[in-house]
Amino acid sequence: MLNRPRAEAQSLADAIIAVKDRVRLCSRCFSLTEEDPCLICTDVRRDATVLCVVAEAKDIYALERTSAFRGRYHVLGGLISPMDGIGPAQLRVKELIDRVAREGPREVLIATNPNAEGEATALYLSRLISPSGVSVTRLAYGLPIGGDLDYADEVTLAKALEGRRAL
Amino acid sequence: MILERLILSEVRNYESLDWMPSARLNVIVGANAQGKSNLLEAIALLGTGKSFRTSASGEVVRQSAAVATIFGEARQTASSARVRLGCRITLGSRSVRKTYTVNGHAARYAGYLGRMRVVSFVPGHLQLVTGPPSLRRALLNAALAQDSAPYYAALAAYERALTQKGALLRDAAPLDEALLAVYNERLVETGGRLMLARRAFTVELEERARTAYRSFAGASDGWLGLAYVPNIAFELPTDAGVQSAFRAQLQLLGAAERSRRAALCGPHRDDLRFTLGGEALAAYGSQGQQRTAVLAVKVAEFGFLEARSGDAPILLLDDVLSELDSERRLAFLQALGGYGQAFISSTGPLEVPDAAVYRVRAATLDQVA
Repeated sequence: MLNRPRAEAQSLADAIIAVKDRVRLCSRCFSLTEEDPCLICTDVRRDATVLCVVAEAKDIYALERTSAFRGRYHVLGGLISPMDGIGPAQLRVKELIDRVAREGPREVLIATNPNAEGEATALYLSRLISPSGVSVTRLAYGLPIGGDLDYADEVTLAKALEGRRAL
Repeated sequence: MILERLILSEVRNYESLDWMPSARLNVIVGANAQGKSNLLEAIALLGTGKSFRTSASGEVVRQSAAVATIFGEARQTASSARVRLGCRITLGSRSVRKTYTVNGHAARYAGYLGRMRVVSFVPGHLQLVTGPPSLRRALLNAALAQDSAPYYAALAAYERALTQKGALLRDAAPLDEALLAVYNERLVETGGRLMLARRAFTVELEERARTAYRSFAGASDGWLGLAYVPNIAFELPTDAGVQSAFRAQLQLLGAAERSRRAALCGPHRDDLRFTLGGEALAAYGSQGQQRTAVLAVKVAEFGFLEARSGDAPILLLDDVLSELDSERRLAFLQALGGYGQAFISSTGPLEVPDAAVYRVRAATLDQVA
């Protein structure tokens, strides 16, 4: 940094301040945004009948890169983990339930990571939402594209077998 | 499995070591605190990612160092297929991190475990019959997790859900019933798999152990018996059978779990029961009989892993042969007759035939025979 021109340091410092000043949470989906509500929430071309639940805002960017999902999002702000003192009250679970009741989506897609906490959080949300008649779905598990059966670990392969579908 | 080369960096008292052990029997002698056990511990870590001496893996990192690295090249006895394994332990500011590589590529623990199978036998194991149930569960887990990746996955998921459930019961007020139901369901699903696998494993272990016991002790002692004692009794050994038994028990103990704020039932409370001629070995057996039973179980564990993978696991005997009289020692080594590679540490000279003998002094190895 010491060897770079002053202007460069200044623009970096400005950028950091700008993040602090301008970026906030969307009041609807709790994603990071400069405008509230965020561009995804206000985009009328997006499918309002599917709501995708993610743990963190960065997961939205991963899903958006696929261009395969056209619904809206809800950011929980983490995953349920009592051992770390994180229960449903510490996350935006109540906001999610209110939103489902208010917006009435046809489907809630839970896109948490396939690890222990992601799994437990998904099951918990499903227990809360399913009774209202809304269809609750989960991202599929399986083999990486271009992968080789021979090299897949047994656990992933077993999950892929469980989740097989008709052709 | 044959460990052909072991490279250590900043592991316990080894600043660095590059060693090509013998493909058969390696006897490591030396005085206390010179690095005999550290060497065996490093091999166990390389194979299983776990130390047989401590659960605090940070202790493995050499004093004043921040990263310990264990690297090994191993070869399958039958197929000669080679694998390069790396296990690195990094001290962080608040936590200890372990990372693994297989053939130079980063690997998750689940994909690492089982590449180089080891059976370790340390003095603590001599209490297997009389000691606490956790020793016997550790025996079940050590063999099954190395044998089967799905078993390890179920075990890890079970323990995680158990920790979360414990924290929920302890800290949450008011208790979130829906969340408790989620953890209970995770426990039933993963715990059910553990119970079925342990039951099947114990049947095979008993058969192998009773043959071994008879070869050590002769017919006068009666047959050695080994039974799986699940914390949750079940009648039907099927997924549906164990799961419904587990759910019923959770239901039954629900109020007690809430008032005592702890998870009270499940395979984390399983046990094994040893009998000799039908009598409980812990209560009625002599010390000699109990010890012979432990040797028989170790032979059985070794035989199980060998039969399942078609390749003899690496045998690690840490300071345990000197605890046995010479007759038992010989019988034990003979019962493992087909073993591939073994590492034996001892403070005194050991009379075992055809061994490469190394003397270790202040973390330096010298071959003396």
